[in-house]
Amino acid sequence: MFALANTASAAAIDHAACSGCSLCLLVCPVWRTTHDLRLTPHGRAKALQHGANARDIAISVESCTVCGACEPVCPENIGLVAAVVALRRQLHSTDHVELTGQDAGDDLLQDLRDTHTVLVLDAALRQSTGNILSRVTAALAEKRTMCISKDDGADIALALECGQPISPRRIERFVSPLRHAKKIIVVDGLLYRYLQLWLPRARIVSLGEALSTIPAVRRALRRTDLYVIEPRAYHANYERLVTHYDELGAETSCSFNLDLQRIAIAATARSLPQFLGTAATDNDVHVNWILKGRTVNRIVIENEGDRAAFETACRIPVVHLGDIAGGAY
Amino acid sequence: MDSITIGTLPSCPVGADALLAIKRQRTNPARWNAPSWEMFATAAGVHDIELIDANAARGAFVTDAGGTAYGLPHAIVIARSAEQISTLLRLAQHYRVPVTVRGGGLTTEGESVAFGGVLLDMTGMSQVVQIDRKALTVRSQAGIFWHSLAEELRREGLDYLSAPLNMTSTVGGTLGVGGIDVNSARLGCSADQALALQVVTPTGDIVECSDTSNAHIFERVILGYGQFGVITEATLRVRPYTPLRMHYFYYASLRAAIEDLQMLNRNDASDYSGILTIMDCAVNLLVAFDSVERETAFIAQWKRRLRGHGEAGFVLRAAIQYALRPWRLGQALYLYRRKRELFPQFRRPEYMREGAMQDRSVVFSRAVWKFWGSRQMVIPDLATSAEKFVAAVERGNAVCRTYFPYYTLYCVGIKLRAEHRPHYEMSCIPPDADGWAYGCEFEPIMHDVVYSRDHLQSFKNAIYDIGVDMGASYYRFGGMMKGYIRRALGDALVDRHLAMKRAADPAMILNRDVIF
Repeated sequence: MFALANTASAAAIDHAACSGCSLCLLVCPVWRTTHDLRLTPHGRAKALQHGANARDIAISVESCTVCGACEPVCPENIGLVAAVVALRRQLHSTDHVELTGQDAGDDLLQDLRDTHTVLVLDAALRQSTGNILSRVTAALAEKRTMCISKDDGADIALALECGQPISPRRIERFVSPLRHAKKIIVVDGLLYRYLQLWLPRARIVSLGEALSTIPAVRRALRRTDLYVIEPRAYHANYERLVTHYDELGAETSCSFNLDLQRIAIAATARSLPQFLGTAATDNDVHVNWILKGRTVNRIVIENEGDRAAFETACRIPVVHLGDIAGGAY
Repeated sequence: MDSITIGTLPSCPVGADALLAIKRQRTNPARWNAPSWEMFATAAGVHDIELIDANAARGAFVTDAGGTAYGLPHAIVIARSAEQISTLLRLAQHYRVPVTVRGGGLTTEGESVAFGGVLLDMTGMSQVVQIDRKALTVRSQAGIFWHSLAEELRREGLDYLSAPLNMTSTVGGTLGVGGIDVNSARLGCSADQALALQVVTPTGDIVECSDTSNAHIFERVILGYGQFGVITEATLRVRPYTPLRMHYFYYASLRAAIEDLQMLNRNDASDYSGILTIMDCAVNLLVAFDSVERETAFIAQWKRRLRGHGEAGFVLRAAIQYALRPWRLGQALYLYRRKRELFPQFRRPEYMREGAMQDRSVVFSRAVWKFWGSRQMVIPDLATSAEKFVAAVERGNAVCRTYFPYYTLYCVGIKLRAEHRPHYEMSCIPPDADGWAYGCEFEPIMHDVVYSRDHLQSFKNAIYDIGVDMGASYYRFGGMMKGYIRRALGDALVDRHLAMKRAADPAMILNRDVIF
């Protein structure tokens, strides 16, 4: 059943459909830093149409940041994220590596059965300082029962990023306890995208959407705030979330890291080598572009992983949405 | 192992058609393949010019938006600076290697397809150099997409004046051919917005030019189809950004809609205007304004003179019409489906604020690619004087009906500037136009139907033949249709420009298969 794990929406992956319109270039962070067509979805699709295989375009395949910005703008509705994940897989071993992950165990299963909301963390939030995590959980729980999933699927997210095959058994072990929850809040944007495929009937929301729906948070956002949307989750559910953030903007007048196409500009866009730490990041390029021409008094981030990029590039205070939710600001 | 669908081209995407009985002077040019390439490549390496010759990389440039011309360069060069391009062109002159310049690749007649030699990818030069808020100008590298330029300008509260309704056309490519927008009837074509250019001549000189400095180069490079130099930087006029207040009027008659469009243009009654149709059954006159004041004045003075209806009125009339002609039910259903899919795209809430459209280029461009885009963009056009325009569109419409069940017409006016007359010579601007020129694009909606290249090509020829017959001009001269330029504009004019081209480009290496 989890063949989907490795191909996502198989029907949507079709490089042959690329008409070469270049709309994907306009939103691609790799294009922003390189201006090299070969390293873009357009370049990959045209190379593949011309008979190239994954190895011929390996550098391009690994340069993708998997931010998903290209997908909502593709007029042919090509599943570009799944395509990159699949191409990365073709570059690597075809054998499944048995991922161990965190063992959820029966105790947690019992917990989740009685729980309304499950929060699936990522490493950045788990390791965050300053009680952000406790503020986040307090704000999200409200009057409902909520627990944090012991199994955060970090190994699965890493495997997806790297193109490592994932065994259906591991995925089943990850998602099985989540089936009992009425609402699943996912912090990792790539995992969010795939959980929507693995659990199509579940109510899955990103951390940003969950927090920014809370009235107290909306009231605390200011006109001079720059609200930084986590791009991977946003682009994975674009049609719904573009409306959500548009309404948030209309209500609060804060600005967003959105371009004219209402695509999120990633602050920490990392190619696979950058993700693995074997190449220097170019976050400053993206952060400077986000900030260019804006008058901002405060930067509000959804993704704790964006904090360092902003704090390195500017002296504007950076706060996590969870801080606001917890009333710290 | 997971597999993905990898698209394939037919074994020979060019040769399948016989192209019999089609009046044309040239088809795809023969591929250049001279032995001097090796010496050129060695010299380029010495000068640190990277020639990208991997098959996968070259494959990305095998065709243009038109999708009917296919050709492979020997290598790609990604443009990085005027100095690099200067060196490239000097070497190309010396070794007589053709250089084809490509911006967004949105040509439709193979103009940006390289049939051997070097393909110069200008999108590598995509930086904004300077924005001058006081002077309301922007200096930009020429390979920048109009959308990227708009992004930069918007951060300063500014906007460009006019640009193609396609975000992935580049500034340099547009200035070389014209560029029309729904405000061109008021502001002129995009090329008219250029104040100065940095150009690398075919012999490698880096020249700054304008109407007052090196004007002879400026005149030839603007609207010059890339024959007289590579535009590397451009200074453009810009303006304060304003959202758009849109109005739509629906007509059942092309003639009435065009006459109303021209009436509005003559009287400067709107800031934006254009006609977009679904066949000739639903003719939509778009009128828009930059300010409430202009909108109010239009409503008070001009709106009642228009013969078009609002959406509800049009739907009612169409329903009655199709009820009386039930054999046209299929067409009615198509119109309904198209309307249901297309119209909401122009009203997406995230692009609307208080009834005004934000980011018109985004809204229109996304719709263009979503509803008209495909791997073959077949968009022949006619550009005529105001007086000839109705007849030209009606004749073109009849051709469309013959060839395709579904199609779209897109009509706009282009305000001509008397001081730019020298720019217009041998361009898309028809020689007999005065005050305004008018352009119409004829675009089949192909959906998933596969048409042979013969069919598409003969359709285009039928449209272009109207132009020859009526003394019109075209937006898309070049490439596979270049034979038409002599038939439309005459040998004397073309030969005069050919002589200038030979003087400027002795080895005839720059975009050599486009015009001459």
